[in-house]
Amino acid sequence: MTRLRTMVAFFRKDLLEEMSYRTAFVMQVGGILLTVSLWYLIAGFLKPPEGALPEFPGVPYFAYLLVGIAFSHYLWSALSSFATKLRGEQLTGTLEAMLMTPTPIPLIILSSALWDFFMTSVRVVLYLVLGACFGLQLRFDSLVAFFIILLLTILAFSGIGILSAAFILYLKRGDPINFLISSASALFGGVFIPAQTLPHHLGELGRLLPITYALSGIRKSLLSGTRLQDLLPEIFALMVFVVLLVPLGMAGFTLAVRKARQEGSLAQY
Amino acid sequence: MSASIEISHLSRLFKPRRSLGQLLTRSRPRARETWALRDVSLEVPEGAIFGLLGPNGAGKTTLLKILSCLILPTGGTVRVGGHDLQRNDGAIQRTLGFVSSDERSFYWRLTGRQNLRFFGSLYQLHGRALSERIAYLLDRLELVEQADKPFGDYSSGMKQRLAMARALLHDPPILLLDEPTRSLDPISAKHLRRFIAEELNGREKKTLFLATHNLQEAEQLCHRVAVLSKGRVLGEGSVEDLPPWGKGQEAYVLVVSGLDQIPNSLKNGITWTSLTGGRLRAAGEFGRDGERLSLLLADVLRLGGRVVSCSKVEPTLQEVFDRIEEEAP
Repeated sequence: MTRLRTMVAFFRKDLLEEMSYRTAFVMQVGGILLTVSLWYLIAGFLKPPEGALPEFPGVPYFAYLLVGIAFSHYLWSALSSFATKLRGEQLTGTLEAMLMTPTPIPLIILSSALWDFFMTSVRVVLYLVLGACFGLQLRFDSLVAFFIILLLTILAFSGIGILSAAFILYLKRGDPINFLISSASALFGGVFIPAQTLPHHLGELGRLLPITYALSGIRKSLLSGTRLQDLLPEIFALMVFVVLLVPLGMAGFTLAVRKARQEGSLAQY
Repeated sequence: MSASIEISHLSRLFKPRRSLGQLLTRSRPRARETWALRDVSLEVPEGAIFGLLGPNGAGKTTLLKILSCLILPTGGTVRVGGHDLQRNDGAIQRTLGFVSSDERSFYWRLTGRQNLRFFGSLYQLHGRALSERIAYLLDRLELVEQADKPFGDYSSGMKQRLAMARALLHDPPILLLDEPTRSLDPISAKHLRRFIAEELNGREKKTLFLATHNLQEAEQLCHRVAVLSKGRVLGEGSVEDLPPWGKGQEAYVLVVSGLDQIPNSLKNGITWTSLTGGRLRAAGEFGRDGERLSLLLADVLRLGGRVVSCSKVEPTLQEVFDRIEEEAP
């Protein structure tokens, strides 16, 4: 209960800070509107050949693209949020003040990313609402499966994000995780085009990335209305990623904290 | 009286980190290893105000960061409030409050009250108990009127008082204060010192560990002091005990006229000089035969000055400190 209250306190603090930058919020909404319009025009212009989306027959490319881009924000958010927040608190000097309290460091890191995940959700909803204005048709008959996949997606991505934050904590800059995962996910994860359509079986690399299963599951539930039992392969794959990545991220972060305390560089930037 | 803080043979070595290239070529980093603390042993009695004196780079902040569990020591042991630093850092953090002089450690766009509410939650304080504690501290530190203004609009004095309020949120028995009056004007500094001495130590019997290079502050506040230089404790005792460290140290104040530069005789053995408003102050070892004092007076005359009066005064802690620094290995 106390931990939950601490997480709420972080959320409240970030909300209050964000509210003090109202113009930035308005500009973000404007940016999303522009992005959706742009993708609508590009998708209309590209017109992929018949059968280019084998798993989604009858689904327009704009819908495929928009859902892919919208939900990949969770990955970008996880990759950047933990590390960026950590570095931001280092720069503003508030990290040291937090680390002097008895709140466990992993709880501080997890809580500090809550706001970003909330804002990502707002962004995703905006994408979908604006997408609907441009003709996006969503299916709501498989919402339970959708939310299970979404939760597993956030957890799996968080594992990577925490590992990325561990690198930032120790190396200060030059986080290799962020670069590798974001590039590989954009290329092989099926954000823009189905991985199967990539030449020379490059799409097979996508099987090693959680985003592939996350986007596949989300698209199937939201665009095709696929039932929960038919989404079990994606759910199982994501669970494997969660079981592997979350403990790995936490262990990496604990190690980075210990090394940084030994070196005396915990709050340095 | 039991000890609130026990530091035994504490050392801290900072090693420069090797770059990837240096790791691959097995070459050494260019920067050298630095001993920030060497064999430091101190005991801070319960309920005392203990001053840690030292110039910048002496190791004061490193010691405070070790006490507040931000840095691990290279060697030695530390016990705070009976808890071992290596084994129970969470318990230590509940026992300690840290007052930093770093204004950056707050959220500038949040109000003072919102800042306190956030940091209070990190001490597991929530709801009504936290609100009441915040209201009490804002009142005690005379910040009620400014409580709902953004922290960024606060004056330096208000920021420092809010830092004090934050450190007191969980009502810790031990407070670490890192140069708490560094950026304050004399009146604000005086008020804060009074609050520290009368309220925190006098009324609430808190143990205070004060790192400062303001020797006047240490003289005014501290029951005991330790002088830290280049990571080593040069001496420890009550403020009254300090003269033995500066044995043979004397100070003279000469009221002079027509003198616009400090005489050259103020060298060997004389460690402190100042010339302000026609008052020449010199401190150091003058010797019993009066030779150096005579040289000083002769120099003043040679430079065209006239001696209106000459009186022997007690050397200040600053003057003693400079002497200790000069003698440090």
